[in-house]
Amino acid sequence: MTQLSSETFDANARAALNDAQLRGALRNATSLFGKRRLEAARSLENWEELRTQARAIKDETLLHLDRYLEEFTANAEKAGVQIHWARDAAEANGIICRLARERGARLAVKAKSMATEEIHLNAALEANGIEAIETDLGEYIIQLAHETPSHIIAPAIHKTRGQIAELFTEKLGIEKTDDIAQLTITARQVLRDKFAAADLGISGVNFAVAETGTILILENEGNIRFTTSLPKTHVALMGIEKVIPRFADLEVFLKLLPRSGTGQHLTAYQSLITGTKRNADDEGPDELHIILLDNGRSRMLTHPTTRQALACIRCGACLNACPVYQQIGGHAYGSVYPGPIGAVITPQLFGLSKAAQLPFASSLCGACREVCPVKIDIPELLLHLRAEIKETSKVRDQRSEPVRPNRAEQVAFRLWAAVMARPRLYELSGKVFRFLQRSAARDGAIRRVNGLLGRLAPPLAAWTGTRDLRPIEPETFREYWRRAAHD
Amino acid sequence: MWSAVGVSTLEVLRRTGCKVEFDERQTCCGQPAFNTGYRFEARRVAKHFIELFEASKAEAIVCPSGSCTAMVHHYDALFADDESWRTRAHAVAARSYELSSFLVRVLGVEDVGARFKGRVTWHDACHGLRELNIRDEPRRLIRQVREAEFVELESADACCGFGGTFSVKYPEISTAIVDEKIQAIERAQVDAVVSGDASCLMQIGGRLSRVGSRVRVMHLAELLAGQ
Amino acid sequence: MTDREMANLQNDARAEILQSIRTRLAESAVLNARRSPTLPLAATVPFVSDERSLVETFKQQLESVGGHCIVVSDESELTTALKHVVGEIEANGLETRRVALSDSPLLGVISRDLEAQGHEIAVTPSASDLFQFDVGITSAQAAIAETGTLVLEQARERNRLVSLLPPVHIAIVNAGDICATMSEAITRARKESDTSSAITFITGPSRTADIELTLTIGVHGPKELYVIVYRTNH
Repeated sequence: MTQLSSETFDANARAALNDAQLRGALRNATSLFGKRRLEAARSLENWEELRTQARAIKDETLLHLDRYLEEFTANAEKAGVQIHWARDAAEANGIICRLARERGARLAVKAKSMATEEIHLNAALEANGIEAIETDLGEYIIQLAHETPSHIIAPAIHKTRGQIAELFTEKLGIEKTDDIAQLTITARQVLRDKFAAADLGISGVNFAVAETGTILILENEGNIRFTTSLPKTHVALMGIEKVIPRFADLEVFLKLLPRSGTGQHLTAYQSLITGTKRNADDEGPDELHIILLDNGRSRMLTHPTTRQALACIRCGACLNACPVYQQIGGHAYGSVYPGPIGAVITPQLFGLSKAAQLPFASSLCGACREVCPVKIDIPELLLHLRAEIKETSKVRDQRSEPVRPNRAEQVAFRLWAAVMARPRLYELSGKVFRFLQRSAARDGAIRRVNGLLGRLAPPLAAWTGTRDLRPIEPETFREYWRRAAHD
Repeated sequence: MWSAVGVSTLEVLRRTGCKVEFDERQTCCGQPAFNTGYRFEARRVAKHFIELFEASKAEAIVCPSGSCTAMVHHYDALFADDESWRTRAHAVAARSYELSSFLVRVLGVEDVGARFKGRVTWHDACHGLRELNIRDEPRRLIRQVREAEFVELESADACCGFGGTFSVKYPEISTAIVDEKIQAIERAQVDAVVSGDASCLMQIGGRLSRVGSRVRVMHLAELLAGQ
Repeated sequence: MTDREMANLQNDARAEILQSIRTRLAESAVLNARRSPTLPLAATVPFVSDERSLVETFKQQLESVGGHCIVVSDESELTTALKHVVGEIEANGLETRRVALSDSPLLGVISRDLEAQGHEIAVTPSASDLFQFDVGITSAQAAIAETGTLVLEQARERNRLVSLLPPVHIAIVNAGDICATMSEAITRARKESDTSSAITFITGPSRTADIELTLTIGVHGPKELYVIVYRTNH
């Protein structure tokens, strides 16, 4: 599976910017999603109230997460569920593969689940001789293409119908057509056979209700209903942060999630699953296994600022609103979680040193915070992570591996602070820059700064690569004030 | 760095009848360091800012920058572990205003006697918009500028792509973002783009200049000072 | 690994995760702002609740997402309505020969005519057979006017697969079972979850926009959804 790395984010981003087709697809998708989200939000008079409520529910849950997880476990087990706990990805994969092997499963059908991508479940299953087929159309497409999703809600957003047509012809042997309805029918037919033959259905969980042990999964296509009702065994993987206290709390999220994700008032299907069937000859799986996944989430509880990221309901609204994501798409982030939310949870789940660029790849505009249904203050989180990354001199506990410091930058800011704390030095430095800029300015603007000056001051070179720089004026305000304006 | 902004701000405030003082010892609010993760350095500079301004007897501290004003209002984060400095920071923040917000909300003034012949449009700087809720005020002020034709920019509230060190750490992305803004500006067929933040103007103006556009950038203060 | 080893490992995992949560939360305690109390659920905006309006709203909402809704004033009109719906489906070029029914007694009655017309009728066929059926008919235990949603409850009727596998789903619902809001439906579902291991909310036909954001109706779930609402005699 080709997956870019977060560590090469800058190179990934540059490549994405040169991909005209990707940029066109992103422009269309993000603006359409954004427009629909806004209309859908406006359809509810109490939208702001709902956001506040949702966040309050999540805050309450996170502050007592251990208690709610235990309550969920007890109630789910009462209803016939087998609960498993997984500290990390390896443990989760181990559990799922063992469950599959013990049941002699050869074929698993999968509903779209970010958590299963996070732990690379498909690869683990394949290594154990179990075929895992994605059944969500977008996920199916990228699975055929050996790619990773580029968007949380619409995984194949970066592909044109032409590319998908070629893919289907190549992998499924059908006659080439880029008629979207026809492509969908093809996928439907292929996947129906898989549903019929599957031994195991694997899904994620949108919300897990502590009060009753119920899990709620939302969808539009129907593949989740298939996955969770046809195969004999249903395995659901959920991050520990998915639990909510009461059944009644579902209403708030049902109002917020579809509107934020796709602009729909409600998705076509919601499956509310509480345990296993009461009678042996009822429809539905014989067994339901729910795996509670930590994989770095509990670490985020330590600080209120980082804890809020666990409130995320995976709607994708922040991606569509983000000026950076709009330009580069999801793959560049090198993580199963891209965009603004990805920039803050990827370093925390997978390690600061592995994703140290991501928190800096933002202009801090705040558009994400505005659209987040659970009011996560992503800019605040980005700033928090930036400080963590830069404060390498502090003693760290295990949760953040030290990031190699940028010595030049450290020195630069130390110098900068020393100057800014001393007004006279500040004025002097202004005079020095005005002198230096004489050599760089041409016709009233500083254009390309290359050569020695560019190497001494990389930011200057970086700026002037694409933008002119307005020189410092001959008379500073200070000087003007002294000369002419003193009352 | 951009003295015309300071000069214009002074002019506008005096025209509305304010008595203005300027403390020459001021340097910076500390935002560049804070935004890049260097909180220690940011604190150092912020303390200088707070000490200086708390000594002033002025009723209001007015700043022609939404992002600097927002920074001052966010000193909490820098002094999370220091209650004494946090209190002092709050006191200074309580008297700190961005220019357009000060004119319209505090002074209740929309007409500052300005004149500008041409078509202008407004770019909403992100910090001012989202942290300080500044949206109406600049538009009201611009509408009172004699002979100026105000045109609402498509996606006026879309980020310009500056973002502090982001603009030089990720120059290609930053430029891709500003190019969307430039295209909207060209479609609006204006003579000038106005904004309340010099950083946005540096970004937008820098790109407009590089692509050879004849559209100029103006700070709100400059527009309002014109007669 | 033996079962005992597995059990031990699981106990370790559970203990470790819960401990990690407790420790981290304790660390954060000093940083927590004044805790905001859990807000009580906002009182839902009262909905027009007479049956006639509920039916109207339900119909509007369902049609806005591409479903079809026929309203009959009496249970006795159901047979005719069903015949009409099947006719309409055929007129749209879809196959209707093989019809699967759920085990709702109501359906046995109203579908007798279909059999007479030559349709092959089967009551809750096996899953593998169901794949070959053209139409699935079920009732719905409840519906939601606010959103045009049907509520199917596992314990009340064998409708889970009949409503999913065939490309056309016809659902019969009693107007008296239409509740006004999602809020009410959730309250009902809370009680029902004690009995039904699966409660399914259905709002319109299946859909996707995964290819170039172009809306396609009919993916895995049914492509057509017809709902026949009947009023009970007063």
